[in-house]
Order: sequence, then structure tokens, then C-alpha cells
Amino acid sequence: MNKIKNTENIILLGIFLAVIGAVAALILAYFAQLTKAPIAKMKMQATNNALKEVLPAFDNSPSTDKVTVKAVDDDKIEITYFGAMKDGKLVGIAGQGVTLKGYSGKVKAMVGLEPNGRIRTVAVLPGSNKKISAVLITEQSETPGLGTVVCERTRQKTIFSIFKPEGPEAKILPPNPILDQYAGKEAGKEMWKVIKDGGSLKYITGATISSRAVADVVYRITKTFKVNQKEIIAKLGGTAEAAK
Amino acid sequence: MSLIKDFSKGLWKENPVLVLLLGMCPTLAVTSNAKNGLGMGLATTFVLLGSNIVISVIRDIVPKKIRIPVYIVVIATFVTVVQMLMDAYAPPALNAALGIFIPLIVVNCIVLGRAEAFASKNNPVRSAFDGLGMGTGFTLALVLLGGTREFLASGSLFEIKVITPWSVDFLLPTQAPGAFIILGCFLAAMNWLNQRNAIKRGEVYIPPQGMDCRHCHLCDFNSNEE
Repeated sequence: MNKIKNTENIILLGIFLAVIGAVAALILAYFAQLTKAPIAKMKMQATNNALKEVLPAFDNSPSTDKVTVKAVDDDKIEITYFGAMKDGKLVGIAGQGVTLKGYSGKVKAMVGLEPNGRIRTVAVLPGSNKKISAVLITEQSETPGLGTVVCERTRQKTIFSIFKPEGPEAKILPPNPILDQYAGKEAGKEMWKVIKDGGSLKYITGATISSRAVADVVYRITKTFKVNQKEIIAKLGGTAEAAK
Repeated sequence: MSLIKDFSKGLWKENPVLVLLLGMCPTLAVTSNAKNGLGMGLATTFVLLGSNIVISVIRDIVPKKIRIPVYIVVIATFVTVVQMLMDAYAPPALNAALGIFIPLIVVNCIVLGRAEAFASKNNPVRSAFDGLGMGTGFTLALVLLGGTREFLASGSLFEIKVITPWSVDFLLPTQAPGAFIILGCFLAAMNWLNQRNAIKRGEVYIPPQGMDCRHCHLCDFNSNEE
């Protein structure tokens, strides 16, 4: 034992490191094999959950009924559209796209669209007329407390609400004033802009860049759908009437 | 008895964050809220436990000349396993928040420090308790720091508003400067408490020697040859 421990023979040292590396590789290969299926399932589940939030009730599996098209304003970016069918009719489309204009890189969004290209309204808040839009930010790394206010739909939990029975609001998507202003919007010729840039969209002071990024990605998804509308609907199994 | 001591020294007397000042990178970076702190702490504890046991088992056959690369391979294997397990089973939000910091556990000074300072000199059972204790101390410090930062920033703990149902947003504690300020306050409080206790016992407080960055010979090969 002591002989190996104090050896200075370079070949022996090399062999020892190689053996350790091989053992480590075997262990890692075993674990990679073991976790492969759960990881794929986890990723699938995240997409499925987002789809359920932005699409109307469906009886097919939108996560497999999908088409991918290139974004109209950027060839390098691909947008995936998922179709929701109910009784053989196309009832809604969800677009998943990305923008690189976030404050710290990528902002990924999932937007629910009606077959005619308008952004869906998921629900109306009980008690007020606030519409909740089918816009979800699925991946972002914005500044916590500033950019995340723009992107996240979080339900405020308080120490009191733990003991209170859940109201009807608990079942619908939590509101977010920035994301909800897209409800019912339709892509026109002009790019959507925040008020600061001469447009009409609200933004959050201190998070202008994040607000712009959201406008960018939602516009890109909506506009790309509008341009390729017939093709996408045909591929997803809808009829031409669905577009109207 | 000594096993309990091996475990409990990591909690207070040789707390890796608050006394030894090891692993500052994950400490400052991930503790923007209590949940992230807990997740990072548990992941590190698992790696510490595993690497301490394995390194202690192989301590008699590892050639002295290449012990550091061997330790790194062992630690990196455990970290990769943790990352795969987290990808597969952890809640997606936690995984996204910790994502880039998990691979960095490999270079966390606590893990390598314990391997060199303890596991390579003691038997596997003692090393396991040492790893568990250090990991628990690290987790406690991270949760405490994360909880304080989260509470000061938005009045919530583990994402549940504690006092005010309305939103108070104060950004400083969630950002890097706030992390330094609050960690500094924690260290000052820790030193003050230790000194006060030592004076009460009529002693002079000396921080544990030979464990922290100032006294570690890990990077200096020649001075550690016996």
C-alpha cells in the first residue's frame, strides 16, 4: 500500500488516474442511462403544462401536433406552433418563440392564439372586467424584482391565505398587467411599441428593456402566424374556414 | 462521542461560511431567496457526504503526487450525478434558479477543503459525519442568509408573505451589493458573539486554525510534503 502511496513513477501515476477516470465514467454512464427517461418526461411536462394554460379545452395531444416555421423578421429564430383540436375542429393554436432582446439574454414565450390570429383571452377576472391573456413567459433570466415583474405570473401567497379557503381566482392564471394588455390583440403592419418608444403598450419603469423584449417576442409569434396562417392551419389539420 | 463532535463542529465552531469563509461564490450568488439557499445547501451536502466517504475509503491507495486530481474527479462525478438527478426530479423553478451554480460545486472550496483537511486523514465513518455536519452548517448559513435577503427585499419567507399582504419591493438585498452587506453583518455578529462568549469564560477568542483559506496548504504542494 505504502508503495503506491509514495510512488513517483510517472507511468504508474498515469495508470492510476486512468483507472479512476474509467470508474467515474462508468458510474456517470449508469446514471445518465437511469435519468434519461425522467429528464425527457420532465421537459415534456413543462411544455404540456404551459400548453394547458394557454389553449382552450382540447382532445388531441398538441405537444405532438406541431409545425415549426422561421420567424418573419429573423431567419435564425424558429417558432413552433401547437394545434388544439376539439371534436375534429381546430380551436386554438399556441406559438412558442424566443427573443434575444431581454436584459440578460433569452426570453422564451408561449402565446395562445385563436385560429384567426388574435391573442386569446383565457379568462375574465371575477369582480372586475380585467381580461387575462394567453401569454406566458416560459423561460427568462431577467433581474429579480424588476424584469421578473414583467415576465412572471405569480400568485401572491400570504401567511393569511394559507388558512383561507381558495376562491374562484385560484383556478385561473394569475394576472400580470404587462402580459394581460395583449389580450385580443392582432398583429398589424407596425411593430408593437411601448409608450416610451411612441407606442401604446404599458411598461414598468426600470424594466423597459424587459417590457420591450416581451413585446418583441409576442409580436414575432403573432406576426409569423399571421403571415404563414394558411400553411400552419393546413398542417395542423384545420380547415380554411377556421381562419375566419 | 467524537462522532457527534465531528458532526456538530460544522454547525457553529467551524461553520464553513460564517467562520472558515469558504465557498463564498455560491453563498453570495444563489441566496437571493431562502428556497434557493436550501436547494444549493442540500445539493452541496449530498456531494460533501459522498465525496468525503469515497475519498476516505481510497485514502490509502491514492498516490500523494496526484491526490488533488483524483479528489477533483471524485467530486466532479458526484456533482454530475447530482445535476442529472436534479434535472430529472427537482421542481423546474428550483432547477432553473440553481442551474448554472450546480456545476460550480466542483470548485467549491468546502468540498475540496474537507477532502484534503479531513477525509484524507480519517476513517470513512468519521468523514461521513464531518461531511454531513459541514453540509448542514453550509445549508443553515445559506438558508439564514437567503431568508434575511428575501425578507428584507419583499417581506416574504419561502415565497410566502409573512407580515404584509401587500407588496413591498426593496431591490438592494436581492442584488450583489446587498449580498455583501448582509453577509458582512452576519460575520460581524458571529465574531461578536464568539468573542463575548470567550470573554465570559475568561479566554481570548481564536478562530479555528489550519482550516480556513489563510492556513490551508492545498495550493502549495511543497510545504505540505512530510
